[in-house]
Amino acid sequence: MTAIPLKKDPYSIIITGVGGQGNVLASRLLGSMLADKGFYVTIGETFGASQRGGSVMSHLRVSKEGVASPQIPRGRADVIVSLEPVEAFRVLATYGNPDAVLLTNTHPIYPVGVIRGELSYPPLDELQDVISRLLPASYFIDATEQALLLGNAILANIVMLGALGRLNIVSFDRENFHAAIGRRVAADKVAVNLQAFDVGYGMVQV
Amino acid sequence: MKQFVPGDLDAAVIQEGLCIGCGACIHLCPYFQSYRGKTARLFPCTLKEGRCFAYCPKVEVDLDGISRFLFGKRYDSAPLGTYRSIHVSRAGEKVKKSSFQAGGTVSALMYFALREKLIRGAILTGRKELLPTPQLVEKPAAVFRHGLSKYTAAPTLAALNEAIEKGCDNLGIVVTPCQATAVAQMRMNPMGNPSFEDPTALVIGLFCTWALDFRRFEAFLAQEVPLKEIVRIDIPPPPASVLEVYLQDEKLVFPLDKIRPLVPDTCGYCPDMTAEFADLSVGVLEGRGDMNTIIIRTERGERIAREAERQGYIILEEMPQENREHLEWAAANKKRRGLLRSREAGKLNGEEGKTYMRLSAEVIDEILINGKEDAPCHT
Amino acid sequence: MSYLIDEGKNVQHLLMGNEAIVRGALEAGINVAAGYPGTPSSEIIESFSQVAKERNLYVEWSTNEKVAVEVAAAASFAGLRSMCVMKQNGVNVASDFLLHLASSGTRGGMLLVSCDDPGALSSVNEGESRLFAQLLEIPLLEPGDFQEAKDIIKWAYELSEEIRNIVMIRSVTRMSHASGNVTYGPLPSDTAARAKFNYHGPLLDPENGPVISMILAAPELQHGPQQEKMKKAAAIFETCPFNTYTGPEAPELLIITSSACSLYSREAVKILGLGKRVGILKLATTWPLPPVFLKKHLAATERILIVEEVAPTLEDHVKVLAAESVQEIGPKLFYGKKSGHLPSVGELNPDLVLAVLSRLCAVPYEAAAGVFATEAKALMEKLAPPRGMIFCPGCPHRASYWSIHNALQLDGRGGFVCGDIGCYVMGILPAGFSTVKTLHAMGSGSGIASGFGKLRQFGMDQPIVSVCGDSTFFHAAMPALANAIHHRSPFTMVILDNRGTAMTGFQPHPGSPINVLGETVPALDIEKICRAMGAKVEASDPFDLEKTREKLGHLLEYAEGAKVLILKQACALSPEKRGRKKYEVTVDETLCRGEDCGCNRLCTRIFGCPGLAWDGEKKVSHIDDIICAGCGVCVDICPAGAILKKEVA
Repeated sequence: MTAIPLKKDPYSIIITGVGGQGNVLASRLLGSMLADKGFYVTIGETFGASQRGGSVMSHLRVSKEGVASPQIPRGRADVIVSLEPVEAFRVLATYGNPDAVLLTNTHPIYPVGVIRGELSYPPLDELQDVISRLLPASYFIDATEQALLLGNAILANIVMLGALGRLNIVSFDRENFHAAIGRRVAADKVAVNLQAFDVGYGMVQV
Repeated sequence: MKQFVPGDLDAAVIQEGLCIGCGACIHLCPYFQSYRGKTARLFPCTLKEGRCFAYCPKVEVDLDGISRFLFGKRYDSAPLGTYRSIHVSRAGEKVKKSSFQAGGTVSALMYFALREKLIRGAILTGRKELLPTPQLVEKPAAVFRHGLSKYTAAPTLAALNEAIEKGCDNLGIVVTPCQATAVAQMRMNPMGNPSFEDPTALVIGLFCTWALDFRRFEAFLAQEVPLKEIVRIDIPPPPASVLEVYLQDEKLVFPLDKIRPLVPDTCGYCPDMTAEFADLSVGVLEGRGDMNTIIIRTERGERIAREAERQGYIILEEMPQENREHLEWAAANKKRRGLLRSREAGKLNGEEGKTYMRLSAEVIDEILINGKEDAPCHT
Repeated sequence: MSYLIDEGKNVQHLLMGNEAIVRGALEAGINVAAGYPGTPSSEIIESFSQVAKERNLYVEWSTNEKVAVEVAAAASFAGLRSMCVMKQNGVNVASDFLLHLASSGTRGGMLLVSCDDPGALSSVNEGESRLFAQLLEIPLLEPGDFQEAKDIIKWAYELSEEIRNIVMIRSVTRMSHASGNVTYGPLPSDTAARAKFNYHGPLLDPENGPVISMILAAPELQHGPQQEKMKKAAAIFETCPFNTYTGPEAPELLIITSSACSLYSREAVKILGLGKRVGILKLATTWPLPPVFLKKHLAATERILIVEEVAPTLEDHVKVLAAESVQEIGPKLFYGKKSGHLPSVGELNPDLVLAVLSRLCAVPYEAAAGVFATEAKALMEKLAPPRGMIFCPGCPHRASYWSIHNALQLDGRGGFVCGDIGCYVMGILPAGFSTVKTLHAMGSGSGIASGFGKLRQFGMDQPIVSVCGDSTFFHAAMPALANAIHHRSPFTMVILDNRGTAMTGFQPHPGSPINVLGETVPALDIEKICRAMGAKVEASDPFDLEKTREKLGHLLEYAEGAKVLILKQACALSPEKRGRKKYEVTVDETLCRGEDCGCNRLCTRIFGCPGLAWDGEKKVSHIDDIICAGCGVCVDICPAGAILKKEVA
């Protein structure tokens, strides 16, 4: 695969989700794949509330020039990967712009207000509908469902990375992923992660 | 009928110091619980109407409404409430004089009602050390294990609610006047539940001038005696004016003046000495520690009392006029003091959802005139 | 082999700021590292521990930060290179010893790494540690990116050895927890260091005498030399390679900045196209300031914007220097926190810098296309319910607070909980049933409770409870308990023992059977300690709600002296529990009475476990199988008995 040139420098990617979804691992994997490709990568992470059901967000900056701010300026996300559907809204409201590409998992994780029956969680079709109207380049996949088929909901983050790979907007491929995951997880977990990547890769049409 | 206002029982009763811990709100939901003689609300609830509020004998009590429901007539100023007859009584020959106090009428009646299957179970209050422990009693003989006076407020109605929750009906229960009020309100089906059936078959009320706060009483006695060694507690009828604590082979006597500070404030608001909303009301006959006074109030109460008498479980005798008049005097005074105190605190016909009682101005006036501090003159 | 000790020549890795600090220390030949866990610092000690064997390091999680500095100081006294690591609040704890250490001086190179948390993203406050450098009179370095975070460490060790004093490195969350490319330097080939403490020389001999910080009415003997060290540091800082300037020779505006703020400034200048008008002076040596270097840059401009987090610390120092040198450099206009151009609360970000630059340079800037931003924000507000903080599914704290809350309510005397530091700070929120009413520093809950307990003589009859975690117990709560026992202060200390320093990622503490190096070590028994100290002690499984409530209820009534209730249950995320369900939990929909139940949705409305949610359509509760951790506690709160559990084989 030939390297895809950056549409902007720095190119800004946000991976968002809820504590416990493997957000940080996904951003490290993506970052290390891109660093392997020779880019400067800066990752900023907010995971203070990660163990307490809070929103978690990673900002990835990809550059040919050098280190960038670990926080993306407002309105300047180029790609948003959301491991949880309503988290996509939160990111869009602050960092979105009409040219951004959005890839979101459709499996909801209910905020405490919804669990308590005090707030309602929007129906999925309404979510998809309004997001698609706002952002023409938006993709929806049930990554958690596929991850569960592979035996563990936590693999949804890897399914999402596979799907991102298929979108062909950021420069990485399966081989890249293989190398990166090999550095991060125990040897016996590599195969199932590769499987998750492949499943994700097959879930979107470009 | 009870007025519902989006009110909060915790704010209206517990926080106001009016809660006596009767247990009427317990076992209806997970929020109200009784602990060491006191009722606590664990978490706020958002429901607009609840049985807790409807049953509570300390908030929005519609005295006239209850009277009409039970007796088909308005609540008037009669010191002893509405009744059919009044007698002197004691347990009959069918009952062994064992572990009851005074004349044993209450134990005898419950024993009889259980034996004759007039009730399926009785809600009675035993005690563990000093802690009153209400429970459902189904075996007649077990009645006598609960026959001793407690003198502390008890969450008796929690056991009633628990028994009802389990599907029991035809229940007998021994209650204080405030609890009798709560039971009457329960029987009125205030929530309008279409499948409601009266779960009680016999409500025996106990005369009560006040109850002791369990925690304060326990702390008081704990300073004086090892609680485990207490066998029995007694307040002999006037003019004794003492509290007696019996140990295995010792008796401690405390003047009532030392005990009165242990009475919760809420008792001072109460207008009911003789459990006016019970089927039968029983107290100790003045001057006679071995005899009872019994007031027969309702038709079903009368039926059971007369049958118990016929079968020799209790003995009913005529009430000397002197005793009746003195009882009326004491009851009228409690009624007057309770209303005055409630009115001062804004708890008589007071703020919606926060007031203790509702009663017509006319009857209030009558009561205030009737109750006099002077003792009736008997020469 | 860990990528942290990759010996490939000029090899590059994507490292977190914290890992870069570790790699830098390894390249500098560090021997001893000690710290106490605290976000965002914890990865430093953890990373050291992963390579301890290969690099012949001694690494420990100390009982608290003060002990960590003492442990690292001993290594320095014996001629080794050492590092002590903590979050900003830890520097407060360590400051007592640090003040003495700064006075006695060090031998082997010694660094204090403080990871600050501007914005208090995972802290109880955002108090910054830079002011300590001034108070302690020690040099302060702030790396500005990831490569520098590595490179500056070796330089700092040399500085420390040159001036014979501890050097402070200050990182922030956006450095420590951010990552970037780092090109490695060589690791020293010889890891066989020899330690020896030389003390036979005369009293104030910095190389061979005893190490003391005792001045005895002769401050010139130690305080004097300490200030000389600072002068020397300032002189060295004049040519520090990590102080850099980018921009025109005579900028119309000079930004002076440090740390992550230099990255925000760089990005803002780039976005606004101000590279030819605005200069950026990125300082790594923020205390003491190198006067000559700084004056040169100040002289080249009229207007100066200072971009830093959190307090106007650098701003104050620069202003003092400018005032002192006004004849040399002329009068200047300063912008920053004091002028109100930047906030002195919360962390900064590129947008805040963009806004101030846009204003000062008259370049209009709008973050995102207006319509899109408005629409996206409206949709978020309409469709994205906020995520409140909540205890994890299966968290023992939820169960513990449930019982504590209920015991206090039943008790009915207005009792309350003095909180402490850990995940259980959430006891102040509905997640912990709003049970906690005071919250301050590590161990302070029990100290405050000890004080409240003595207010009975003034008529205070509310029962007092304090909570503290197992790690916090060893860290700072033991002195408070000793105080309470000795003074017969009647309160109940509830120790939430979840078997590790859970909030920061299960670091071991003195109660753990295995240390950070994986060695089997003596585990101190909290229960025995409390008993030996003289407290009345009870223990319970917090998942047994009824028994826990009962035991606490008895302790609350038991008036005499300090009482301890130990609630033992491992954290749901602990390695021993994670991913393993004890019970398969289900809701029997035929038994759940839904909205008709008088329970008013106790299970979901109040208990609030993420694994147990209200189904708004079916109007019943249900278990979310993916989220449920299988602790089974909710089974005991349903009055209808509709929640069922089955032990997982």
